[in-house]
Amino acid sequence: MLLRINQLLVKYGDQTALRIESPVCFEWGERIGVIGSNGAGKTTLVKALLGLVPYQGKVITELTPEQMAVHMQSNRYVRTMSVRHIMETILNTRLRKDKELQRLIDFFEFGSCLDKRFAALSGGQKQKFTIILVMMQKAELTFYDEVTSGLDFETRQRLMEKMAEWYRDKENTLVVVSHYYEELEQLADKLLILDQGRVIACGKKEELFRAYCGKAILILENTLSNRDLVRDFTALKSPDHLIALSCADREEEERITSILIRNNVNFKRSNSDIEIMSINAKEAFYEGREDK
Amino acid sequence: MKKKKCSLRMVAYEWRNLNGNFMSHFFGIVFPNLMCLLLSKTIGGQMPEDMRIQINTSIMLSMAMVMPMAIMLLGYGAIYSLEVENGIPLRMRLFGFPEPSLMTAKIAAHLILLTVSFVIFGAFQILVIGIQLPAASSLLCLLACLYLVGIILLVISHSIANICRRFSVTFGIEMSLYFVMMVLTGMMGIKTEQLPRILQRVAATLPMTYIGRDFADFWQGGSYNFMPLIQSFLFFGALAGIMLLLSWHMEGIGKR
Repeated sequence: MLLRINQLLVKYGDQTALRIESPVCFEWGERIGVIGSNGAGKTTLVKALLGLVPYQGKVITELTPEQMAVHMQSNRYVRTMSVRHIMETILNTRLRKDKELQRLIDFFEFGSCLDKRFAALSGGQKQKFTIILVMMQKAELTFYDEVTSGLDFETRQRLMEKMAEWYRDKENTLVVVSHYYEELEQLADKLLILDQGRVIACGKKEELFRAYCGKAILILENTLSNRDLVRDFTALKSPDHLIALSCADREEEERITSILIRNNVNFKRSNSDIEIMSINAKEAFYEGREDK
Repeated sequence: MKKKKCSLRMVAYEWRNLNGNFMSHFFGIVFPNLMCLLLSKTIGGQMPEDMRIQINTSIMLSMAMVMPMAIMLLGYGAIYSLEVENGIPLRMRLFGFPEPSLMTAKIAAHLILLTVSFVIFGAFQILVIGIQLPAASSLLCLLACLYLVGIILLVISHSIANICRRFSVTFGIEMSLYFVMMVLTGMMGIKTEQLPRILQRVAATLPMTYIGRDFADFWQGGSYNFMPLIQSFLFFGALAGIMLLLSWHMEGIGKR
């Protein structure tokens, strides 16, 4: 076990920002995706684990703060020099002599930015800069908090692809905080779903999907004719414009798909859709609770 | 990732950082020389020829204190409070740089600028204005005092920025402190003895008061009772230390 959270409570004034009641464990080498809407407590969790905010409860780990690295939501640097000098200072190295750093810079196509000042970099370049610095820390546990916030769709996707590719063969434990479901589909194998400071669900991606969605789901457009067509099947909670059908087994999936194909209805199949899964996890969590 | 100690590379980084801000250079290098030139022409010009060099020396000793005040209090305050406002010290701590290492590098870089400033100041005084040449021991004593005052002022400036966390508030407070200190220590033309008694007591806690007022007496050798100066350094240093600890406590530095 790398880290275990027992009964964590973080308050900002009178407001409870995060309350974890059941134990949450991070194992060595896991890729944990922390997901939740704004105000869910994602960043507060990262800050508590790094010791940046006071909390009640216990975080049990053998790691020292130096064995953790973090990409914060906002990362700024001095404006008075080029990023090359900042990089060399933070990593205590000479760029010319450091082959590993050169490889990482090439991998992220950051070479042309080295002589620019931080303020002159684009949003994506700024994120890449901190990602390079964080990756070079080679920490046992690395947090990425909203790495792609403020970036356009294309830059976001390219950056996440690069990160996923870089970490593919590495053994570091990652905690990736995001409210973009597709990012976590690429990077995470375990999910921690937060809402209003509480843990909705925590577990392996596949296990959670099976628990809240079934074996697979079929997603189609929410129209009157589609609703009528699939009314006999189990519909999951989904965004208003979609219908998500749960398939408990292969036979049920084949039954539904044959109807959809016969009626010329477009649909998408998934056995890992985090968005539908987290919506349904939330629904299950709040079912019957008064503090919805 | 290991905790990073202060290194030459970090000092070079801070050196580049402080050279990116013109304030330290203007107020720390240009301003004291201009003030000396102005005062030597106005005050020195009214004195008999044979006394002029002594007056110039006295003005120079008083104005020398502007250098640490401008570089370490004003200039550093401007740079560091902007860093704090942007969360840069926290970002550096998260990269494994403990606060003491960061501070050591900042102090070292600023002492280098103070030395450069002092060399230019000294050359200007000797070559352009004309002052008495000092005894080696007096020169060393002045230099040591400049460094000590500079370090203490930097610590005070650092603490104010950590506590206030905003550039505008920090700079406002530090600018006020700068002018109050200049008035109290006789740099604005009013002698400490001419101030109300309560202000004289406050001025007595500032080392700059003794340096500006007394150092001319043993500039070319002789004896001097250092006890009041040492006491003022102890008081000023303790005040800076308390402020630093308070600012660390308020910011929760040391938890990481």
